[in-house]
Amino acid sequence: MSERLLRLMASRWTRLVLVSLILLGLQTTLLNDMRPFNVMIPVMLLFAVTAGTLYGSEIGAISGLIIGVMYDCVLSTPLGLASLVFGAAAYAAGLLPFFVREPTWWTRAITIGIVGAAGELAFPLAQSMVGFSGRFQPHVAVVVVFVIVAGMIVAPLLLPVCRWTLKESLVG
Amino acid sequence: MALLVLTSIILVTLDLQGSSATKSLRSIFGTVFRPIESVARVVTRPATNAWYGITHYNDVTAENELLREKIAQQEGAAVAAAASVRLSQELLALNGLPTLAGINSVSAQVIGDSPSNFVQSVEIDQGTESGIKVGMPVLNAAGLVGKITQVFSNRAVVMLITDPQYALSVKIINAPKTLATTVTTVPNQDPASTVTIVSVPETIDPLITVPTVPATSNIAGFTPGSIVAPRTPIISSSLTIPPGSNVSVRETGILEGRGAGRVPTVRFVDAAQRFGVVQPGSPIVTAGGSLSLAPPDIVVGTVSRVKERLGTAGPLLEIDIVADLSNLSFVRILLYQPITERTAP
Repeated sequence: MSERLLRLMASRWTRLVLVSLILLGLQTTLLNDMRPFNVMIPVMLLFAVTAGTLYGSEIGAISGLIIGVMYDCVLSTPLGLASLVFGAAAYAAGLLPFFVREPTWWTRAITIGIVGAAGELAFPLAQSMVGFSGRFQPHVAVVVVFVIVAGMIVAPLLLPVCRWTLKESLVG
Repeated sequence: MALLVLTSIILVTLDLQGSSATKSLRSIFGTVFRPIESVARVVTRPATNAWYGITHYNDVTAENELLREKIAQQEGAAVAAAASVRLSQELLALNGLPTLAGINSVSAQVIGDSPSNFVQSVEIDQGTESGIKVGMPVLNAAGLVGKITQVFSNRAVVMLITDPQYALSVKIINAPKTLATTVTTVPNQDPASTVTIVSVPETIDPLITVPTVPATSNIAGFTPGSIVAPRTPIISSSLTIPPGSNVSVRETGILEGRGAGRVPTVRFVDAAQRFGVVQPGSPIVTAGGSLSLAPPDIVVGTVSRVKERLGTAGPLLEIDIVADLSNLSFVRILLYQPITERTAP
């Protein structure tokens, strides 16, 4: 019993939930207050995309789903919407090896920025699909450009954190 | 990927149907996450303060100066306004009309903004335990802030009036630029006649002199002037008539939020002849009514810009909201749940 609990505690998904909780704390406090150009850095989305670039589409999609559900819980939009968008974005980011044979840290950073922005753009689109219209505004263009730049800047920080979080085993 | 889509769609469907499972999940997550958020807030406060210090210092200094001046100006006006409000409430109560004073309210503190680039909402620290329900209007000291969209046991989410999902029936109180009509009767040189001076709206010649003539008869056999009306004492009098065209007129419209950084607009304003041209600065208040989201006469803002449109569309009004939504600290929730927001038990 205790061994199983220990294995559960050491699993990559438990680590993902714990790290995501901390990132969500930062998202709802520091990053929510610091809004350059009136845009917030979507660190949760960028973290999900980072998981995709590092561990491929499958792990990325599951990570995106988990991170998205957590993010959904603090939003007033329907539960499942952010998880769908985050999961899809992370899945898309996991397709990087199909385009770049051996991704370097900077190709990953560019991918995180671009796919992160696409995910942020997809969020109001998904909201419109479930009846929350009016989210597509000229401001979206600023958000997309900002998220591309911010994603590339934040990526070097997120890559090692994500690599440690989703490492299959912490031993060895 | 298919599993991800399926899971998400099931979650969205359950939540849109108002499933208790998704509500419980949010509630449990909120309970777990709240302490983590509090710790994160404490830890990151120095960084946040530094950020505000760098980006907002000059604005805050200038705003502080402006506010001091405004407070000095408004202190006197506030006393007079308070007296007028009390008088108005007494009159409304006397006539059996609903007033805001008759609705209980709960005060709450804003504990967080929406962590999203597309949703305009804030979170408050009161919930169902304080009697708060979905749909209740939220105000601050200045005016309307939004409405409750989600309620938990000791917290609630307020959708701000700038959110594109927010729509509310409002009244525009328009005051046409005209003067009160005054009719003055003064004695003339001729004791049998009078001169009536009528002062009218400034768009018309202000002085119209109407000399009255002695009453005569053209009937044969009667001497003209013999039936002049008996003299009566002529008293100079002045009577101010409040004609309908000069009283503030009201027209209703629908206020709609337009998202971050954009002012809300009022549409469907009937361009009635009597209503006239809407003046920038005209106050906007809630319309009230049985199907409205808020009780009547809550201040929302003032008209900042009028966009004329062709045809029967009527003008489009841009609104300056009186409540500063970017800096909300304390709010008041009116314990008034609109009929449209009530759910079957």
